Amino acid sequence: MKDVLRAFLATVLAVLIYSLAGAAGPMFIVVPNAFSVIVLYFSVRRGEVFGAFLGTACGLVQDAFSLGVFGVGGLTKTLLGFWAGFVSRRIDVAPFFRNGLFMLVMSVLEMILWVLATAVVRRESLNFHGGLILLQPLVTAVLGSSLFAVERRFRARGFRGA
Amino acid sequence: MSLWENRRSVRILAGLAAFNILLISIQIPRGAEKSFFERSIFFLYSPVLRAVTGAARGLGSLWTNYFDLRGVRGENQQLKKEIFFRNQDVRFLEARIRLFQTEVGIRECLAAFRGTIVPARVIGADSANPYQMIILDKGSLDGIGKDMAVCDRFGNLVGRTIDPVSLKETMVQLITDKDSSVSVVSAVDGLTGSVTGKSGAFCELRYVLASVSGGQLGEELLTTGYDKIYPAGLRVGSIRSLEKDELSPIFRRIAVVPFFRFNTIDIVAVLTKAKGGE
Repeated sequence: MKDVLRAFLATVLAVLIYSLAGAAGPMFIVVPNAFSVIVLYFSVRRGEVFGAFLGTACGLVQDAFSLGVFGVGGLTKTLLGFWAGFVSRRIDVAPFFRNGLFMLVMSVLEMILWVLATAVVRRESLNFHGGLILLQPLVTAVLGSSLFAVERRFRARGFRGA
Repeated sequence: MSLWENRRSVRILAGLAAFNILLISIQIPRGAEKSFFERSIFFLYSPVLRAVTGAARGLGSLWTNYFDLRGVRGENQQLKKEIFFRNQDVRFLEARIRLFQTEVGIRECLAAFRGTIVPARVIGADSANPYQMIILDKGSLDGIGKDMAVCDRFGNLVGRTIDPVSLKETMVQLITDKDSSVSVVSAVDGLTGSVTGKSGAFCELRYVLASVSGGQLGEELLTTGYDKIYPAGLRVGSIRSLEKDELSPIFRRIAVVPFFRFNTIDIVAVLTKAKGGE
């Protein structure tokens, strides 16, 4: 039950970031993907099962705010959440650069899967926004690993305070 | 422990993947119609979008509203509001002058038109491609329903409202979306066709026969009202290029630049009553 509530709150957080990005300008929605950042962060923190559930929730919310096919985002983010959680339990992704690289690889794989799934389901060429969309995995990885860096700093400060 | 030893995780992954594939597959016979589940998610989360955008705008305007020439700001906003309505009137009048011959007809039409505009703020854009859809902060409680034309502050056509329309939020399909189609006529040579988006910055004018001559670069395209969604005479875009279509030799390939710009659609006008052809 706690996990369901956590997943719901994390999804609200993703919508919050997506809203702020949209308020800044339409192109800020393309780069970064707020939903992917949240899925990656919580999958690494809480493991593959939570990551898969959160991926489904975030992906479906992302699809609900789009005219694309409902479920494509859900499927890709489910796989992203699961594999990010699964792999992060088996290799050490704590150091900043390793964490960034791990998130970059996962984001690239998610994007490839999303492009393939969209191409199969909708049978159309995708708009890459003049190549801007290719920056999405990089920016998502930087933001995701920055979240961990900020968290570590806060925790370290908390320990010093105690 | 390998993945296959952890059967519970694999079962959950398989179940969730199957659930998503099921969601994808049930849309195939439905076409563009949104499912109840999809609508429910939009209804649940769109207030968050609205609240966050409102809060961000509120915080942003705090400084300017309270510390920086508060009175001038209020006056400026009032003038902006008036200009907004005037622009809509001017565009609509231009169109109606072509249609109505008598002054009485124009006056009657304008009186009815003033009550049909609902100004709305843009609170979000399509999460996958901003050229496809935007979300407004007005909904069914404000008199907005499906298939209503939406214009920017200068009276240029932006798109039409589509499902889902919640109580205070509405989705708008932009004319740049690839599934959008607007019946238009060119202002000078009278080329008629359908402006269809490409989910990018430009659109194309379709169904103009290769045997039909005319059409100039920069020529304006206006709605005809034949589609019964967009009122006649709204400005859609201008012709960017005219070429032979190699793939379909019976038609001409005409690229169109839409008039609306993303930086001018922070506030839009929803035409709640005026349907095409009326």
